[in-house]
Amino acid sequence: MKKTHRILALLLSLCLVVSLAACSGGTGAGTPETSAPETSAPETAAPSTGDATSISLWVYPVGGWGDETKVKALTDAFTAETGISVKVEYLAYADGDDKVNTAITAGNQPDLILEGPERLVANWGANGYLVDLADMLDDTDKSEIIPAALAPCINAEGKMYEYPMCMTAHCMAINLDAFKAAGADQYIDLETRTWSTDNFIKAVEALYAEFGSTVGAVYCGGQGGDQGTRALINNMYGGTFTNADHTAYTWDDPKNIQAIEQLLSMDGIAFDASLQGGDEIAKFYQGALKMAFCWNSAQQLNPNNADTGEGKTVTGEEIVYMNFPTADGSPAELCGGIWGFGIFDKGDAAKIEAAKKFIKFMCDSPSTADAVSTSTFFAARTSAEGTDLTKLFDNEMMNDYAALMLPNLGDYYNVIKGWAAARTEWWNMLQEIGNGDDMTETIATHMANANAAAAG
Amino acid sequence: MAKQPQTTMSRALVRRETISGYLFLLPSLIFFLGFVIIPMVICIFNSFTNANMHPGDVQFVGLKNFIDLWQDVTFLKALKNTFLIVIVSVPTVCAFSLWVASAIYKLKGPVLSAFRCIFYLPVVTGSVAVTVVWKWMYDNYNGIFNQILKGVGADTINWLGDSRFAIWCIILILFTTSVGQPIVLYVSALGNVDQSLVEAAQVDGANHFQVFWRVKWAQMMPTTLYILVITTINSFQCFALIQLLTQGGSDTNTVMFYIYWTAFKLTEQAGHFGYANAMGVVLAIFIGLLSAVQFRLAKEK
Repeated sequence: MKKTHRILALLLSLCLVVSLAACSGGTGAGTPETSAPETSAPETAAPSTGDATSISLWVYPVGGWGDETKVKALTDAFTAETGISVKVEYLAYADGDDKVNTAITAGNQPDLILEGPERLVANWGANGYLVDLADMLDDTDKSEIIPAALAPCINAEGKMYEYPMCMTAHCMAINLDAFKAAGADQYIDLETRTWSTDNFIKAVEALYAEFGSTVGAVYCGGQGGDQGTRALINNMYGGTFTNADHTAYTWDDPKNIQAIEQLLSMDGIAFDASLQGGDEIAKFYQGALKMAFCWNSAQQLNPNNADTGEGKTVTGEEIVYMNFPTADGSPAELCGGIWGFGIFDKGDAAKIEAAKKFIKFMCDSPSTADAVSTSTFFAARTSAEGTDLTKLFDNEMMNDYAALMLPNLGDYYNVIKGWAAARTEWWNMLQEIGNGDDMTETIATHMANANAAAAG
Repeated sequence: MAKQPQTTMSRALVRRETISGYLFLLPSLIFFLGFVIIPMVICIFNSFTNANMHPGDVQFVGLKNFIDLWQDVTFLKALKNTFLIVIVSVPTVCAFSLWVASAIYKLKGPVLSAFRCIFYLPVVTGSVAVTVVWKWMYDNYNGIFNQILKGVGADTINWLGDSRFAIWCIILILFTTSVGQPIVLYVSALGNVDQSLVEAAQVDGANHFQVFWRVKWAQMMPTTLYILVITTINSFQCFALIQLLTQGGSDTNTVMFYIYWTAFKLTEQAGHFGYANAMGVVLAIFIGLLSAVQFRLAKEK
């Protein structure tokens, strides 16, 4: 009897140890951290010489590329054509960088990643984690890819760390019904979607007089959607965010200070530290705000991602996309979104080759039209292997947006070094200014911190 | 002659039991070593280096990270906020939970259980769900608090966007999620107070306050010490609320959040892992010191 007890105790102990070992081996496939080792573990070994049959791809939610069903259709088509399977992980902007950086530190990064130049070129590429894709670019590609989309994908040394797939121009939006109710529609040019800073001020005054509350928010609760506040402040009087060669931040440009002072003085504008870009969009969509500074074609197509109709608020009021106001009323310099693929260099030539096939399939083949359409943004090239990509959408709004907004793409300064630190400094700076801290001193302090990060 | 085999048998039995004991201990020990001791050692080691996300660049920098911390305005602000949270929340959580427990511990079974459930609900509800609901209530445009203020004709408050209010809003949420467990523990401790001592004190003419202070409170001291220590540690480690509500803005940055931000967001900053680890070490020292003081005071009492 005692012997049986001992054997039982020993078995129980072994079960516990084995179960512990089993548990620590993996906790599911829901997150990139847990699933990545499956695909990358063998790749840390010596370079492979055979053909890769599977690759891993991590995607940030670039429009419809955040939708698993839509992406699966694209990857299935790729697998059918090449026999290479694709394991996709979906990242969120809130913590995607944390996951990628943790994976890089642990050597578990994916083969491919979908994002923009600020991460691919200025961060992971600059730090030597990505493969130079310059050999994928021939003369035909150079003639087909839109120069404004190609330039930020290549660094100063001529290394190409992103192969661009789609792009858009970030703009702002107004609630046209509210503008009409306040008589503020007289201050906007609906044909060109432009307005002057003076007219913007008058419009805000009229809206505030009509509704008696905040009509636009300089959101600064975090870095989410900060391209909107940057573009607003830079465009109002023609200020700049960085110098021309992208080596230093220029937030103390007198034209920026003039814009911030003007915004602070307006009753209808609030420096709101409780909102980030996504929150601002939601408030605008709900009708609480009458203008949104964080907007683009995808939002216009499906405001707040709520599937309640193109260009409409939740109550059915009409949303009109606009340029940011400029001193003379000319079109603004808009911040761009340029998304494409980068390949992590893990020393496996076969995987790199397979990843390049994937990029070619999505960015430069007859399938590119589907890949770009899925993103709900515009193609980064005019044509791919004979397929015209200039009119992908059977949608008047999208075609108008392409004609009115894409030509206004400004300098893509996001490739400056220390970008992550600078973004943190930017929204903290706006918060402190909104709280009434001394403007000159606050701007100087945060700009100095950002420039320290830029200097490395 | 008969004693020798018995001793040998006992030794064998002891050895077998010891081995069995260690085998049962092994799973927890592996967890403890793998998730507490080893990370702790790595953290302390990294705090003396310029470790960052690029392997191979690590160099020993001595006490540089610790010296830099005291010149880092953001860290000092975060430290100030962390201490504010601890100083406000620990006494209020203890006092409130003791008051509630005193009021409900004599209630009949089902009523007592109902109160326990009510106060314990925020503890068992996911912190993200609780925080999201509070975020709605604090909303600057449509939140219930501002609707009430509008209703009475007062100016609205940007609860989470105004540095005068944001930290207090976070302390309030922390308070509601922290009182559940202390209340349950105090109810249990009050129920276990030796009634013969209470009755003896009453026979000797002690009033209610004296009975509570001299008899009940003294017997609840181990429970109070436990509550003080866990509430202090939880307050020092306030992270999720900051992450979900303010991202450290509106002057609500805490050391825990700044550690996360430095380690995982400021990845372009040289030596960011080492610097974040140094903050972790400093935080652990503060938690250890405060816990030691609490133990000491409770022992003296």
